[in-house]
Formats: sequence, structure tokens, C-alpha cells
Amino acid sequence: MVQLVGPLSKELADSVSSCKILVVGAGGIGCELLKNLVLTGFKNIEVIDLDTIDVSNLNRQFLFQKKHVGKSKAQVAKESVLRFCPSANITAYHDSIMNPDYNVEFFRSFQLVMNALDNRAARNHVNRMCLAADIPLIESGTAGYLGQVTVIKKGVTECYECQPKPTQKTFPGCTIRNTPSEPIHCIVWAKYLFNQLFGEEDADQEVSPDTADPEAAWNPEDTAARATASDQDGDIKRVSTKDWARSTGYDPVKLFNKVSSGFILCLFKDDIMYLLTMDKLWKKRKAPVPLDWAEMLQLGEDPGCGTGLKDQQVLNVGGYSRLFQHSVETLRSQLADKGDGAELVWDKDDPPAMDFVTAAANLRMHIFSMNMKSRFDVKSMAGNIIPAIATTNAVIAGLIVLEALKVLNSDIQQCRTIFLNKQPNPRKKLLVPCALDRPNPNCYVCASKPEVTVKLNVHKTIVQALQDKILKEKFGMVAPDVQIEDGKGTILISSEEGETEANNGKMLSDFGIRNGSRLQADDFLQDYTLLVNVLHSEELPKDVEFEVVGDAPDKAPPSKAPEEEKSITNGNKDSAQPSTSSKAVVEEDDLLIVDSDEEPSSSTADVSTETSSLKRKHQDAETGEAASKRKRLDQQSADDDDDIIALD
Amino acid sequence: NMSEQKTNKEQRYDRQLRLWGDHGQEALENAHTCLLNASATGTEILKNLILPGIGAFTIVDGHKVTGEDVGNKAQAATEFLQELNSDVSGNFVEESPDKLLDNDPEFFHRFSLVIGVQLPESTCQRLGAVLWSAGVPFLVCRTYGLVGYMRLVVKEHTVVESHPDNALEDLRLDQPFTELRNHISSYHLDSMDKKDHSHTPWIIVIAKYLEKWYNEHNCQLPKNYKEKEVFRQLIRDGIRKNENGAPEEEENFDEAIKNVNTALNPTKISSTVDDIFNCVQCENITSQTSAFWMMARGVRDFVQNEGNGSLPVRGTIPDMIADSDKFINLQNVYREKALQDAAVVSKHIQSHLQAVGKVINTNKIQFLHCAAFLRVVRCRSLAEEYSTDTFQKDTITSCMDSPDSEMVLYLMLRSVDRFYQQHSRYPGVYNYQVEEDISKLKLCVNSLLQEHGLSVNVKDDYVHEYSLI
Repeated sequence: MVQLVGPLSKELADSVSSCKILVVGAGGIGCELLKNLVLTGFKNIEVIDLDTIDVSNLNRQFLFQKKHVGKSKAQVAKESVLRFCPSANITAYHDSIMNPDYNVEFFRSFQLVMNALDNRAARNHVNRMCLAADIPLIESGTAGYLGQVTVIKKGVTECYECQPKPTQKTFPGCTIRNTPSEPIHCIVWAKYLFNQLFGEEDADQEVSPDTADPEAAWNPEDTAARATASDQDGDIKRVSTKDWARSTGYDPVKLFNKVSSGFILCLFKDDIMYLLTMDKLWKKRKAPVPLDWAEMLQLGEDPGCGTGLKDQQVLNVGGYSRLFQHSVETLRSQLADKGDGAELVWDKDDPPAMDFVTAAANLRMHIFSMNMKSRFDVKSMAGNIIPAIATTNAVIAGLIVLEALKVLNSDIQQCRTIFLNKQPNPRKKLLVPCALDRPNPNCYVCASKPEVTVKLNVHKTIVQALQDKILKEKFGMVAPDVQIEDGKGTILISSEEGETEANNGKMLSDFGIRNGSRLQADDFLQDYTLLVNVLHSEELPKDVEFEVVGDAPDKAPPSKAPEEEKSITNGNKDSAQPSTSSKAVVEEDDLLIVDSDEEPSSSTADVSTETSSLKRKHQDAETGEAASKRKRLDQQSADDDDDIIALD
Repeated sequence: NMSEQKTNKEQRYDRQLRLWGDHGQEALENAHTCLLNASATGTEILKNLILPGIGAFTIVDGHKVTGEDVGNKAQAATEFLQELNSDVSGNFVEESPDKLLDNDPEFFHRFSLVIGVQLPESTCQRLGAVLWSAGVPFLVCRTYGLVGYMRLVVKEHTVVESHPDNALEDLRLDQPFTELRNHISSYHLDSMDKKDHSHTPWIIVIAKYLEKWYNEHNCQLPKNYKEKEVFRQLIRDGIRKNENGAPEEEENFDEAIKNVNTALNPTKISSTVDDIFNCVQCENITSQTSAFWMMARGVRDFVQNEGNGSLPVRGTIPDMIADSDKFINLQNVYREKALQDAAVVSKHIQSHLQAVGKVINTNKIQFLHCAAFLRVVRCRSLAEEYSTDTFQKDTITSCMDSPDSEMVLYLMLRSVDRFYQQHSRYPGVYNYQVEEDISKLKLCVNSLLQEHGLSVNVKDDYVHEYSLI
């Protein structure tokens, strides 16, 4: 007779108590997981999380209490677990898992790694580290009522990156700066404005009118006269907000003290009047209407419309003008308190920062004849907020442990990817297990010799863009080294500081890179080498720097075949709708496959909605019988099913 | 201070407010739940209710705890759980559920929900009867090794805000009310300037082209895919052309084309709502009638009289490309009609209330907004489930035929309960008795099947497995 320890066999119970496991993330899933692990009998646990505890975590992350706000999640989680399980041997790291200290050797010291992450960048990285170390990984995510758990084992299953996920859809600069047509454009603009004024400089986050808008075909001489006519002071001719700020000596306090009213005028009146002079833009569009600041502030108090919570009310323009003024003053003094050279980091849970974006975005929406949005709605979009509850995380964390037990029992064939649905499916299952797919032989991560083809313009792409946008952002490398396969082994990019910085501003063509060139990109930490074939093209669409050939299109293809698709997403715009909202989705089926516990933290910026489709077989765990295949698509609110919003 | 408290709550609960909204939160905060047995499963359930901020909980448990937290289990669990959220009021009763049922069955009437975990069958049945007659929802939960079981027992649960996933807008384009018709005729797409043309709400665009369509199609809506495709082309042809004859970019027309399919759905009452109207509770209004049924009756009266077969207008329209003035004017047309309809419904409700001499204060606007999505959930009672007369023999038998059905787990749990009733312990608790327990459990399985006249086969594997936990 089999000897049992609780519901586990003696043998399994022994490996549970002797193995060492790594939990990456101590947030919504992480807290539940740590509890389940120690109660199942796991003894040796290391947990890592770079985040600190926020008030908005307390509705689900039960290892934390109000008194812990601001402290390290990993550390407090460890202490809370030890309170009810003093015998556990837990090591906590308040750090990023992408820190080079956590190298392949580090990963090899575990029998099993469990991800409880909230962003794609870290998931990609841990995926590669586990592949390099050949350690099984359990991947998970939740969003609202939905969740997913899957198992990744090198050479046996698909890896996290086997199916390409489209990169974030960014908005063209001129839409943000000149011709916003949806609230999200105004919200992105307001976040840029925050960074321009209080945060880190970023040349890609310009907020002033874009005079180079190809659509405007703007002729400066023609309109210069009109521009001068509408001009209040010299500031209108500024090239950028930063330059303008520089002219005030870069002293933010001075900047606001001195030209506080002028600055406000500039954003909502003079800039708009300047835009109006680009008259080609407004032939077909409704032209923006500049705000008169004094008039705005005179508008009476407005109780706001919409019922319920304060956050869900929509104020009038006067209300947003006052909110704007007020938040600018608060942020200005916050910045002053931090001392010289300090910067503020935008955080949706920081009330003045959120007020600023709500107010600035709404004033711009008003100017461009859009319906204004409540603070609650703006926060959803600006913060890319994914709703999160304890229950879903608890269910998913429970399933993670069950999959972990199968892995420890050397039963990887029994492992499943499991989806938690909001409603039972037609077969009356809320939890749907599906067989794991085999690795994709063309995967640019786990294939034996990973290779991709990138279409770009070698005369317009600088080395820095290759490094940051292509290798780091798109291909998830942390510190790439790049060598040109030109027979000479020219080093294009070195991860050693100071070695190739001089190359950064140069074009790829300056190094002889042309159509058909091959680049070898290495990431030492990830033990990962990617061969990049360059496909030169002069015909990339506007605002597109590069395309990966064969990458998943932005939209899921129409599915005629009864082929099941699933979407893995980090953001779920639809469920981010407050449930009192009247918004409805009519088109698609109600399934959304999710991949994230919560909002991306500001430190590990992540893209939001991914609409990649993965094929998979739909099988029942017990019978192994293939079931009817269904299409899964993620829902999007009816008014922007073309745009995938990417913030942060 | 009140507003500060409110802000704190908004921050703490932000991530869930985005899921169930402030009404959901309010319902949660007004709820008082009772847990019977502070077991691992029971406390885990409470934890997940306390974190999001349930109003109050009461733990009923007569067991003592040993070790460090020596004392009463109900009290110890309450103290630990209370730490999770100070907004929640935690209470405990140091008594076994059976004693409480003996001495004070009315104790249970006060709760919004009673959760019974690992209750013996007899306790479960007794409590089930008390709660059923008091109309208190009862959630029966149990875990057994790696198997979990949950059964909701509720006589009638009425849902106003059911948050349907695929709610259609209520636009009435197929049967525009007078005010909407007048508003539509105030637009003249052909004589508009370019800007107005591309900033006319898509609802108006569809309505306008629908008029054209009617002229050629005997006043019939485009019905099938093919007709809708022709209708879309009609709209597409209406997009303004530039001097070279190429279509301009008119996003409002694109929206109209995209919305053709759903906007032209005929206005009708769903069978779910129709069933509610036909309920006896809706028919017979008494002084005992609840607010839900009173309002449902008011809506029914409206449908049968002023509404000519349609529900009151919902009064909301989706966001769309349009300039503010045009959007707001259109929105007002729908909103004002909704208010008018609400006033009529209100009048019906008042007359019923007067007739039975009752006053109810309810959010009627809210109710009307959700009228299309009302739901009533009804379960079978535990007595019906357990009685050999009403036992769903055929359903169980046919489930047992299907290979991936989990029905066998239900039968095994019922057999384990039987084992517990007979032996006052679960099978397999003592290692030395396992072999003996297997045969005892097998007897329980057989007697259960026999008593209920089930000729199904439960594999020995299950009996073995359930004897090992």
C-alpha cells in the first residue's frame, strides 16, 4: 500500500520538503502562492520582488497590512509567512529579477521556478533564464475574474515566447501632439506633459505642436504671420517644451513661480492657436477651440454629473481648470521638497499626479470636442489598470501548486495549461485544462539556433535604436553584445560600459550594414544568442521604425478554420470598465486569456494588450480527449477595436 | 473626515471597484455572512470576503484549538481574520452549529449568507430547512483530499444589475419614438458642410440610410447577412468624395458601418425578462411583495400599455465620433424619453403600492436602466436533493454515462457522508484500518445507489482513493 502524507505520497512529500524553489513576485498571486507552498510542506523558498507595498494592494495581498505600506513586498511577505509557519526557510530579495546577480547559476540552484509576475519584460527574462538553466518554470497570470496557469519545460513544451506577441501599438507622435481624436490620445499627451515638466526627459514624449506633421505639409512662411498675430509672448516659437523649460534655467520652481499663468496659457491656448495655423489639418477635422484661462476659472462650481463615488463624476471645464491649477501647485512643491535635480515619477496611485493627468487630459479633450472622462476612467486608461481580486489569485495560486506537484513527481506529461473563466463554458467547466503544446521549432528564443529577419531602413536606423527598440524592447535582451558577421567580426554594440557608446548615434549603414547583412546578438546573462538578418526597406509605414518578418499581425486573422486561438494579454481594457458602465461588447465570445496579475509597475515598464494568437489543442485532463475547438479573442470596447493601447 | 474615509476606501478597493463597481461594493459592505466551522476551507473563504470588505462576519464553531493558540477556535479565527481588514466587523459564537440549531434556530435569520463547511449531512439538512424557509442563501462547501464541492441553496435570488457580457445598446432605430424621429429629421446629410457631415453621430447616419433603405425595401429592416452587407454598402457610398472622386476619411461613417449589425437588431423583450413578467410573484402583488417584484410589475404594466410591447427606453448611448453639441443633443433625446418612461412606470408602481398600502423606497431609475437584464436565480432545496422521491435519478444516470463527468465524485462524497453518519469518523483516518474502511465505504456506496434506485457502476478505484484520505 502507498504510504501517504496528507494527500501526497511519501515520496512526493519528501521531495516537497527537500526541494528549493524560487517564487518571482510577491504580489497578488505571490502572496497566495507563498501561503499555499508552506501549507503544502515546501520548506526552502526564495522570493524576489522589487516593489514596495501600496494601499491599493491591500484588497487582495493578504500578507500585507496598512502599517506595511511603503515597505518591501518580498521582505514583509516573508515575515508574515514566518508568523504562521516559523519552520519555513525563506529568503527574501527586494530586487529586480533582471539584475545580473541572478545569473544562470543562481537559477540552477532551484528545482523549480514559479512566476507570479505582472509584466511581460520580466516574464520574457525569467523564461530565458529557466531555458538556459534547464529548470522547469510555472507561469501564471490573472486579470479580474480570469486567470491562467501553464508549465514551461525546455525541449518539452512551448516556451513563454514560442508564439510571437505583437509589440505595443504606439500612437503616432503627430496624433498625440496635433490631432488627437480619442480620449486616450489626450491621456497619453497628459502623461507626456507630466514627464516633460516634472519627470525624466524623453525626446519621444514631446507635447508641443509638431510642425513636421507630414499631413499638414506646413509652410512656415505662409502661416508665420498668423502665428505672430496670435502670439502673447515669445514662448510660442519654442521648439520644444524642454527647450522652453531650459530657457527658464531648468529650475522648475522658478519656472512655475515666474510664468505660472503664462505656462498654462501656453498649453491650452497659444499651442492650440498655433495648431490652428496649420490649417490643412482642420479641413476635414473639427478644429480645436483654444481655452481662455481666466474665463475657465470663472465658471461656477459644478457638482459634476454621474452618480456614486467622487472619482466617477465628470466635472465641467471650470472644475478641471481648478484641478489642474491645484495639482500643478502641489506637484511643484513636491518637486521643490525633493531638492535640486530631483525628478518625479508618474504614478497612478499618487493622487496629485493622477489629478494632474485627469485635469490636463480632460482640458485637452474639451479643446478637441471630445466627451470628457471621469478621474476613474482616466485612471484606468492612463494606469493601464487591470482589475484584481483575492479570489482569482487564490484559485490560480492553488493551481500553480498542483502543477508544481506534478513536476516534482516527474509527471510533466500530466501537466496542463489551465484557464479560469468568468462563466462556466458550454461543457459547464469554469476551469478548463488544455494539453501543453510542443516547442515551436521556429521560436526565436528556444529554438536551437534562434534566428529572425528584421525589416528596417539601414540609412535611417541608428545603432541606439537597434539596441533599445529592437534588441531590448522587442527581443527582450537585457544587455546585448552585437557583432557584424562581415568576416571581420566588427563589434557594433558592447555591453561593457564605454566601449561602443561612440557608435550609438551612427546609422547602421555607416558600418557597412545593408540588405542581407547578418548580426549576431548575444546576451551573456540570458545565455542567449540571436542571429538577426537585416532586410533593408525604404517603404516602412509612417512612424514604424522596423518590422519583424513573419511576426504576428496586430489583428488576429479572421478564423475560418475551427482552429482554437487564445490571446495572452497583460491588459484587459474591457474588464477595466467599471461594471456600472453601460459599455457593452457585442461581437466576440466572452473569453479572454490573461497573463498578468496586476498593472505593470512603473519600474518594469510593460506593454499592455497583446493580441497574439496561440494555437493549442483543447483537451480534457482526465480523458485526454480532444474537445471542440473554439476561438478565443480578447474583448475590446466597441469604440476602439483597432487601437491597442500601450502606455508606460 | 467622512470624505477622507471615502478616499481611503476608494484607494484600498480601487482594483476591485473596476470589476464590480460601486454598487457591487455597496452590496458587499451591507452583507453579513455567517461561517459554520472555522476549518482551513472556511477561513480561506472568509479571508477572500474580508479582504474586499464584506460588512460583517460571524464564525460559529464549538471546537477548541490546541497548541500555541489554545482556546476557542471561533475566537482565534476571528481575531486573526480581523487583522486583514479593520473596516470589517468580526464576531464569533463558541457553540456547535447543532446546539445553535437546537436552541436558537432564528439566530440564522439575520444573515445575508450562511456558509457551511464540512458539515455532517444531518446538520446540513436541518440548517438547510431553517434557511430555506427564512429565505437566507446557504452555501454548502466541503473539501476532501484534492476534491472540492460547493452547492448554493437559494430559494429566490433577484438580480437587478446582472452585468451581461454582451449587452446590446437600446437605440430603437427599428421603431423610433416620436422625439427620436423628429430629431433624426432635423438632420440633412446632403446639405451639410464637410465638417458637420463627418461629425454627425453614427446613430443618425444609420437612421438616415435606414429611411432610404425602407423606401426600396417595403419598410423591412435588413435582416440577413447579405442584406446587411448591401445596407453597409449604401452607407459606404454616402461617404463624401474629394475632388478626385476618392472617398474622404469620415470616421463617423466607418463607425456606422461597423455598428450596422447590432444597431439593427429588432427591439424585443428577452425570454428571461418575459419569464419574470409571467412569474406568479409579478402577477399577485401583496403587501409582502418585495421591491424587485413591485418594480418588475410596474415595468410589465408599462410594456403592456404605454410601451406597446417594448421596455422603457434605457436612455444611454455609447461614446462615438461626433462633435459635442450633436452628441449631447442626441443623448438628451434618449435621456429625456427614458425619464418620461420612468415616470410612467413609477405611476404604475405607485398605484400598486397604494392598493396594498405599502411604501417602498427604491432606485427606480437604476432598475429601469437594467430592466432588459433582470434575472431571477432559483435553486432546488436540499430536501428535494436528498429525498428519494425528488432525487434527480435520470440526470445522474446519464451523467455517469459520460466519461468526463464529475458526477461520480458527487456520489462518492455522499457515500463518505454516509460513512461518517454511521461511524462518526471519515474513512482512512487510521492507517491500520484502511482495508477495513474500504469495504465499509463500499457498503455505503452500494446502499446509497440502491436506496436511490441507481443502476450505475462506481469503480473500485474511487472507493480506494476515498478511503485513503
